[in-house]
Formats: sequence, structure tokens, C-alpha cells
Amino acid sequence: MGFYFVDPETYNKYKDEILEMSHAVQVNFQEHLPADKRQPGYSDKQIAEKLGLELKVVREIRCVAERDKYPLDEFEEAIRFKEKACLDYSVKGMSAVMEKYVKESKK
Amino acid sequence: MTAQNKIDFATAKSELAAIAGKSGALVSGVASAGAFDDAPEGYRPADILPHAKSVLVVGGAQPRAGDWQSPNYQHMEVTTTSDRMQTLALKMARFIEDRFSYYAVAVPAGVDRGQQPFMSISMAADLAGCGSKSLAGPVLHPEFGFMYYGAIITTMPLPADKPLDPPACPAPECVRMYEAEGTTPCLNTCPAKAGGCLDGRIEDGRFTERQYDATRCATRVQNYWVPGFQKVLGATLQEPDAEKQKMMLFSSMFSRTLWSMTYSNVAQGQCAECMRVCPVGYEYRTKN
Repeated sequence: MGFYFVDPETYNKYKDEILEMSHAVQVNFQEHLPADKRQPGYSDKQIAEKLGLELKVVREIRCVAERDKYPLDEFEEAIRFKEKACLDYSVKGMSAVMEKYVKESKK
Repeated sequence: MTAQNKIDFATAKSELAAIAGKSGALVSGVASAGAFDDAPEGYRPADILPHAKSVLVVGGAQPRAGDWQSPNYQHMEVTTTSDRMQTLALKMARFIEDRFSYYAVAVPAGVDRGQQPFMSISMAADLAGCGSKSLAGPVLHPEFGFMYYGAIITTMPLPADKPLDPPACPAPECVRMYEAEGTTPCLNTCPAKAGGCLDGRIEDGRFTERQYDATRCATRVQNYWVPGFQKVLGATLQEPDAEKQKMMLFSSMFSRTLWSMTYSNVAQGQCAECMRVCPVGYEYRTKN
């Protein structure tokens, strides 16, 4: 076929490892943490060097894996989540979560 | 045009800030182009503009208070105002080149082939002191809260600002809430432990142990957009029953996705629930 994509076998072999090393799920990413605690995640280039793969292979696997991670159901669930959160706020305002703390700040 | 050897860069910076303000920016600041060590190689200012010295950041154009109050979550998807800051960035880039005769490039919105921003505008905003990264992710200005940012990379050596200290997040209200309830508004709204995107703790007034599931966030922020389109198209192409396939193609989900892609010139943020409940800038989101 006329454009570059990764073969499924290579994808399945590396997708979990690459996704975990990437920025897809960020744990203790923030800059203010001490160096021994910080886990900023790896760039595609760094992942490629660590796994001995070509940069374009890592990039392609990561792009597909990011989309592949959650099923279509999750997109439907997102609609339900947003409908509820938005409606709760429109009815209750900040009291939906923390109005009393905001009021304390104004005292 | 001002000759380069006659420029007072502190004065020039003030002039740029004044123009940005008159053009709709609420905040502006400058980061040194050399301060982007944390950005991956290939995504730093000099990777877009060789010999870059400074990154000018402009911020503003938040959704209006009424936008936040709407009970229809789809409302803000199509009224996003982020493109105003992008337009301002283009204007500022042109002004720098015309007035001061230095190269200037507005950082393009959108993503490259690796689905990555060309340069992190949020990192630039943080470094330029225009706001600070929040537990939820977006950069928050301590007074105005959530806003959109644009960035201009230039070879002009403007005096650099510093990151905010203390940062805007966590807000004092969030610290108190965390001490009392073990959670914050954003964590409570979108908890990773219950199918959401966020987790974290607050220790000594700073957030720590932060977890952010960017892939799940994409299912919410880009719900009716490119990722949603790819998922629905994939499912539809696999459906062998022609009648069922028609139902999927003409479904509200697929149709809405196509409309959203039509509305959008660059990108859309389709979930703002963590920001809706954020106390930073709350007063600007509250009217009678």
C-alpha cells in the first residue's frame, strides 16, 4: 500500500511497552518534583533508543496505540460523563463540589 | 522599522505587552528560548526557528461566564475561543518582524505527524510566568484561571520572565478541601479510580503523585472529533449487515462528529469539566 504503517505483528509486540514509556499516562510528570521522584516520560526518540527501534516505528506504534487503548464504548461513556457533570454544575454551581471552601476564602 | 542596535529590549517588551493587551490579551510574558530543556528534542523553539532567543506568550479569550453556566455541554465545543489567541500570535509575529526587524514565528496550533504539538505552548506559558500548570493539566492564571494561550518564537533577545511562585494550582480552597475530604474539585469530577483521567495528592501545598491518563482524556476532549471519527469509522467498516451499517453511518454520534470536524479549523476542546469546577478564576465565571 502507498503509505507507511507498521505491520500488526510489530505493533502487537511493542504497543504496551511503548505506551507505558510514553506520555500517554503521566505519573509524577510535573517539573517541581525532585529529580529522584519525577517521571517525565520518554519522547519517541528516547523510546526508540531504549528499544533499539527506528524512530518512525515507535512514533507509528504510539500513535496507533493511543487510539487503540480505549474502545468505542469509552467515547459513548464520555458523552454520559459530560452531560451529567455539566448539568450538575448548571443546577448546583460550585456547591456541586466545593462552594463552602470558596466561601471560606472570601471571609 | 527600528535598527537592531538602537533597540532597548526592556522597552520593546513593554511595547509588545501593550499591543497584546490592546488586542485582547489579558496576560503576556516572555520565556527564554533556552529554557525549554524539558521539551523533547525536536520540539524546542530553535527546532521551529533557528537561532531563537525568546518566546513571547499571550493569553486570554476565556469562555464567557455564560458559557460555563450552560447546561448543554456541547455548547462550549463550538464556541471555543482559542483561535483568537492564535490570531493574535500571528499579528504579534508580524509586528516583531516589521517593527524590530527580528525573525518571528507564531507557534502553529494543531499537531505534527506524531500527533504532538510543534512546541508546547503550555510549557511556554508556564516558563513565561503567564500561568502555571495545574493538577488537571491546563495552565491556570492565578487571577483569571483557565484561558487560552498563543506563543511567538523570535530571534529578538527580550528580557525573560520567570515561572510563577507560588503557582496558581493548587488554590487555597483546594488545599483546604483536600485536607478535609482527601480530594479536590477536579479530582472529584474526573477521578481515575472511577473511570476518569486524574489522580493525585497535595503535600505541603503542592500537588504530587499526579496521574493523568492522556488517552482517556482524548476520548472526552476529542469525543466528537478525529479520534471519535476514526473509532466509529472502524466499527462501521467492520459491520457486515448493510442495514446496521446505515444506522451507524447516519447515527447521531457519527453525524455530530462530522459536524464538529466541519466547525473546527484547527482543534476543539470538547470536555472542560475539570476546569468548570476549578476555583481559580471562579469570580470571572460567576455573574448574576
